[in-house]
Amino acid sequence: MASLSSAQYRSYSSNSFPPASSNGHRHNHRLLSFSSPIPRRSPPVVLCLQQSQGNSRPNVVLMEDGAVATPVNPAQKKEETVKKLEDGLLSSSGISTEELKEAAGFDVKENESSVSITVVGASGDLAKKKIFPALFALYYEGCLPKHFTVFGYARSKMTDAELRDMVSKTLTCRIDQRENCGEKIDQFLKRCFYHSGQYDSQEHFAALDKKLKEHEGGRESNRLFYLSIPPNIFIDAVKCASSSASAASGWTRVIVEKPFGRDSESSAALTKALKQYLTEDQIFRIDHYLGKELVENLSVLRFSNLIFEPLWSRQYIRNVQLIFSEDFGTEGRGGYFDNYGIIRDIMQNHLLQILALFAMETPVSLDAEDIRNEKVKVLRSMRTLRLEDVVIGQYKSHTRGGVTHPGYTDDKTVPKDSVTPTFAAAALFIDNPRWDGVPFLMKAGKALHSKGAEIRVQFRHVPGNLYNRNIGTDLDQATNELVIRVQPDEAIYLKINNKVPGLGMRLDRSNLNLLYSTRYSKEIPDAYERLLLDAIEGERRLFIRSDELDAAWSLFTPVLKELEEKRTIPEYYPYGSRGPVGAHYLAARYKVRWGDLGIEQ
Amino acid sequence: MTFTTHFSHCSTSCNDNSKLFSSSSRSSPAIHYRFSGSRRLCRYRINSANGNPLKALPSLPISESAADYDYDDNVETGDSHSTLSITVVGASGDLAKKKIFPALFALYYEDWLPQNFRVFGYARTKMTDEELRNMISRTLTCRVDKREDCEQKMNNFLGRCFYQAGQYSSEEHFAELDTKLKEKEGGKSSNRLFYLSIPPNIFVDVVRCASLRASSATGWTRVIVEKPFGRDSESSAELTKCLKQYLTEEQIFRIDHYLGKELVENLSVLRFSNRVFEPLWSRDYIRNVQLIFSEDFGTEGRGGYFDNYGIIRDIMQNHLLQILTLFAMETPVSLDAEDIRNEKVKVLRSMKTLQLEDVTLGQYKGFSKGGKLYPGYTDDPTVPKDSITPTFAAAALFINNARWDGVPFLMKAGKALHTKRAEIRVQFRHVPGNLYKRNFGTDLDKATNELVLRVQPDEAIYLKINNKVPGLGMRLDRSDLNLLYKARYNSREIPDAYERLLLDAIEGERRLFIRSDELDAAWALFSPMLKELEEKRIVPELYPYGSRGPVGAHYLAAKHDVRWGDLSGDDS
Repeated sequence: MASLSSAQYRSYSSNSFPPASSNGHRHNHRLLSFSSPIPRRSPPVVLCLQQSQGNSRPNVVLMEDGAVATPVNPAQKKEETVKKLEDGLLSSSGISTEELKEAAGFDVKENESSVSITVVGASGDLAKKKIFPALFALYYEGCLPKHFTVFGYARSKMTDAELRDMVSKTLTCRIDQRENCGEKIDQFLKRCFYHSGQYDSQEHFAALDKKLKEHEGGRESNRLFYLSIPPNIFIDAVKCASSSASAASGWTRVIVEKPFGRDSESSAALTKALKQYLTEDQIFRIDHYLGKELVENLSVLRFSNLIFEPLWSRQYIRNVQLIFSEDFGTEGRGGYFDNYGIIRDIMQNHLLQILALFAMETPVSLDAEDIRNEKVKVLRSMRTLRLEDVVIGQYKSHTRGGVTHPGYTDDKTVPKDSVTPTFAAAALFIDNPRWDGVPFLMKAGKALHSKGAEIRVQFRHVPGNLYNRNIGTDLDQATNELVIRVQPDEAIYLKINNKVPGLGMRLDRSNLNLLYSTRYSKEIPDAYERLLLDAIEGERRLFIRSDELDAAWSLFTPVLKELEEKRTIPEYYPYGSRGPVGAHYLAARYKVRWGDLGIEQ
Repeated sequence: MTFTTHFSHCSTSCNDNSKLFSSSSRSSPAIHYRFSGSRRLCRYRINSANGNPLKALPSLPISESAADYDYDDNVETGDSHSTLSITVVGASGDLAKKKIFPALFALYYEDWLPQNFRVFGYARTKMTDEELRNMISRTLTCRVDKREDCEQKMNNFLGRCFYQAGQYSSEEHFAELDTKLKEKEGGKSSNRLFYLSIPPNIFVDVVRCASLRASSATGWTRVIVEKPFGRDSESSAELTKCLKQYLTEEQIFRIDHYLGKELVENLSVLRFSNRVFEPLWSRDYIRNVQLIFSEDFGTEGRGGYFDNYGIIRDIMQNHLLQILTLFAMETPVSLDAEDIRNEKVKVLRSMKTLQLEDVTLGQYKGFSKGGKLYPGYTDDPTVPKDSITPTFAAAALFINNARWDGVPFLMKAGKALHTKRAEIRVQFRHVPGNLYKRNFGTDLDKATNELVLRVQPDEAIYLKINNKVPGLGMRLDRSDLNLLYKARYNSREIPDAYERLLLDAIEGERRLFIRSDELDAAWALFSPMLKELEEKRIVPELYPYGSRGPVGAHYLAAKHDVRWGDLSGDDS
C-alpha cells in the first residue's frame, strides 16, 4: 500500500509540475494552479498550503494589474523571483516564521506524515454533492498533502470500486475541459476507499482503524473525520471514532455539521457529550457561510481600508440588514426542516455569524482565537430576541402561468398542521458603545421570488444636507448604502448620490461597483473547499467555538420556545412572492426600509 | 498712461450707467422671473432616490414644444415681453467658432434658451449675416448624430444669427450694434449678454464701448470674460479695476470652463450629499490630494499667446486652483453663488503663498519615435528660440486651516505628455494598526485607499479599495469600486462645459464664475513665485515630447511624502 501511494505521488508530481520552461504555455491557467509549478525541494503541496492558508500565512499583496508588492522577509525572495517570472500574474506567497517551521516540518517528515479523511455518512447527499467534490478540488489544485487517503464510512455495503463509482459521478473540474481533468479524477479516486459499518459500533470503527493504519504505512498519521450524519447519531460516531479510530501519533479532528442542537439546552448537552471524547481544539463546527468568499472578505474590507472603518459605528450607520432568500421550498424534503424551522436553520447560525463578523471590534490579530473572542463579545452584548421583534411566515401554494407551486404543508414530508416558519424577519440589537440603537435586521425565507444572500448597510442621512430639496421629503430614501452580495454573483457596491450628467442639477443614486465576475476571472472556490482545507491545516478561524455557540443559542432560545409554546401561527405568503408583509411593518417599527425590496432592485 | 486718462474720462458716464443697469435690472422683475424662474425650476428638477420624479415640480419642457416659436414672425408676434440678445465679440475667432456658437446651438436644440433670443456676431472683419451663418454652420453638430430635426433646428437657429462688423474700440460701431439690437428686440424689454472672445489687451476697450453704447435700456446687461485675467496680481487688479469702471460685480462673468465640467460640478454633490464621504474629508483621513492635468500635444504652431503666460498661469492658477478650492472648501451655508464663492475665497486666503522650492518646471523637447519626429517647444516658429516658458509644472500647495493643515495638495500640469487627462486623486492615509499589514509589504502607503475623479476623458469616479483575491488563501489586492459614466449614463451625452456656463450666465447663476476677490486671492498665491521665476530666469527641466514629464515632479512629490497616483504603473 505504501509503495502504491508513493508511486502515485510520483506520477502525480510529474504530471502536475512541468519543468519551468513550460510555464509559458500555462499562463492562462488559474492562479492556484500556478502556485504549484515551483522548482523547490519541498513538495508543491506545501506551497499550496502556505499560499492557501488562512489569515496568518501570506504576506504579500497583489497590487492592481498584478504588480507584486515588496517581499516581506528574505526567506521569500527565492520564491518571489521565480514567481515573478510567471507572467506577473501571480503574487508570491509569504510565510511567517510559524509556517516556516510548519513547512520545514513537512519537509522533514514528508515521508512519515499522512492525512486520512474519513467521511462518516459517505452515502449521504452532502457527502456526494459537497464533500467529495471539495476534496477533489483541493487535490486538483495541489492543496492536499502528499500522503492523503479518503475513506468513506457508512452503513451500506459497498466495495471501494462502488464508492469510487458513486463519487466519480459528482466530481467535476469546476471549469470544464481543464487540463488532465480525467487523469486527475482517476488518481484521486485511487486514493478513495470505503469501509462499511454501524455508526455506534466500536468494533467497526476499530476495523476502520486497522484499514487506516494500513494506508498510513507507519507514517505519522493525522486523521480528520467529517460527520455527515443526522444529529441523533453524532455522539455515537464521535465516541467510536475517538476511542477506536483516533490517530496514534498525529492529530485527530472532527468536523461537525449543523444542527448543533435545537436550543440552548440541547446544544449544551451535545457540546458536553462531544467534550467527553474530544477536546475543544479537536471539534470543528462548520458553518459553511463562513467559508463564502465575501464573508471572508468582510474583515478585509473593514480592517484594511481606511475609508470604511471610521464609518463603522452607530454614528454613521443607520441600520444593517442581513438577508437570505431561496426561490424554492422544501420540495419533498421537509422532514428535517420541519423540526427546525427557518430561524434555527438560517438565522441563528449563518446570519448571526455574519452579523458577529460584521459588528465585532478589531481583533488583536487575525488568529482564530482572537477573532472568535471578538465574535463572542458581540454575541454576549446582544439583546435577547423578543417575540415582538420577530415576524414569521410560511409559504402557501400559488398558481402562476398554469404552474401550481405547492405550499409548505402540501409537502408530503411535512405535517398538515405544521406551524413551522419558512420565513422569518427579526430585529436585533447590540448594546455596546459602537452599536447601541442600531437595528440589525435579519430576514430569511424559502420559496421567495429571488435567491440570494446579502449584507446591506444603510448609512444615516447627511445632516444639514445642502441638497435636501433635491431629495424630497424622506431624507432616508437617499442615503448611502453599502451592499455586499454574498451570492449569487458576488459583488460589492456602494450607492452614492450623484449628479445626473447634464445641464441642471438632478441627483440620483449611482453605484460604485465591484462586480467579482468582471474583476476576477478565476472562479471562486466552494465554501467547503476552504473549510476542509482549514480543518486539515488546523486553522480554526472559520469554525464555531463552543462558547460562541452557547451565546448564539441564548439569544434565540427564549423566543423559539415562546413561539412553540404559543404555537404562533405564521403569516402566509404565496410561493414565489416577496414574503409576508409583516416584515415591512417590523422594519418600519425601527424606521428601516428593506433595501432589497426597493424599486431599484 | 492714455489708458488712465481714458478711464477717468469715462468714469462719470460709467457711474450713470451702473445706476442705469441696477435700476433697469429691477425694472423688469416679472419678466425676468417668468423666464429664468421657470427654467430654474426645470434645471433643478430632481428625482427622488428611486428615480421617480417628485410630485410638486414641473417637468422638463419637451423639445417639440420649441416648434411653437421656431419662426421669427412668431417671435415678433408672440406674447412674450422679454428678449435676449447674445453678442459674441470676436465672432470670427477660434473659440467662438469651436465652442461658443456650437454651445449656443446645443442650448437652443435642447430648448434651454428663452423664446425670444438672438445671436449677434461682432468682429472687425467685414461679413454679411449670410457669411456669418455660413461660417457658423460648419461647426454646428447635433452632438449625437442623426438626432431628430437636426437640420431644421439648425436652420432655425441660423435664422436668429446676425453679424455686425466694427472696431473693438469704436463707440460709434457699438452704437450701430445697439441700433441693430434694438431693431431686433422690437421694443420689448431686452436682456443683453456680451461674450468677449478677444485678446486681453482690448478687453477694457470693448467693455467700455459696449457698456456705454450698447447696454440694455430695459433689462440686464452681462459680460462674459475669458482668461487670461491678467498675468499677475497687479495686472489682474488693474484689469478688474478697469472693468469695474463700466460694470458692477454682478455684471462681470469671469469664465473658467473647468468649473463647467460635469465631474467638477459633481464634486460638491459627492461631498455634501453622501454621508460616507464627508467624515473622511479632512487631514485626519486624507494624506494628500493630487490635481492632474495633462495634454498629449504641444503648442503646435500656436505658441504665441502661450509663451507669454506659461503653463502655471494657463492651467494651474485658474483651472486647477479652482478645483482645489471646490474640493477643500468648508460646507457653504447654501448652494447660492455668493455662499459658495465666500467659502472658496476662504480657502484661497488660508493657503500658503507658493514658494519657489515647491515648484518644478519643465519644457518639452523634440523627440523622435517610430521614425516620427515630434518638435520641441522652442521648435515652434511662434515661440522664441530661447524661451524658458514652462510647458510643464508641478507644485505643492498647502492650506493652513483646521481641516487641511499639513496635507499636501499637489498640482501637475503639462503639455506634450504621454496622455491626455484631467483628474483629482485623493489618497487616504494608511490604516493604523492594520491587521493585514503583512500582506502589504514594507510601504503601507502603497496600499491605501484612493478616490479618483476623472474629469476627462471618460468621466468616472472610482474608489480603490483593498480586497481579498477570491480563492483559498488570503491575498489582498486593490480593486476599484467603479462608476464609469459611460456605463451608467449611456443614453445621455455630457454637455460641453460652455453650454452650462452660457446658460448660467443667461440665468444670472454666478456659482461657476469667478468673483473679483477670488481672482485676487488666487493671484496672490502665485504672483510672487511667478515673478521670482521670471526674474531669476529659472531654466525648466527638459522632457521629451510624449513622455511622462520631467523626473523633478517625482522628487517634489517625494519631498512631501507623496507618490503620484497617475504614474504608479497600475493606472496609466
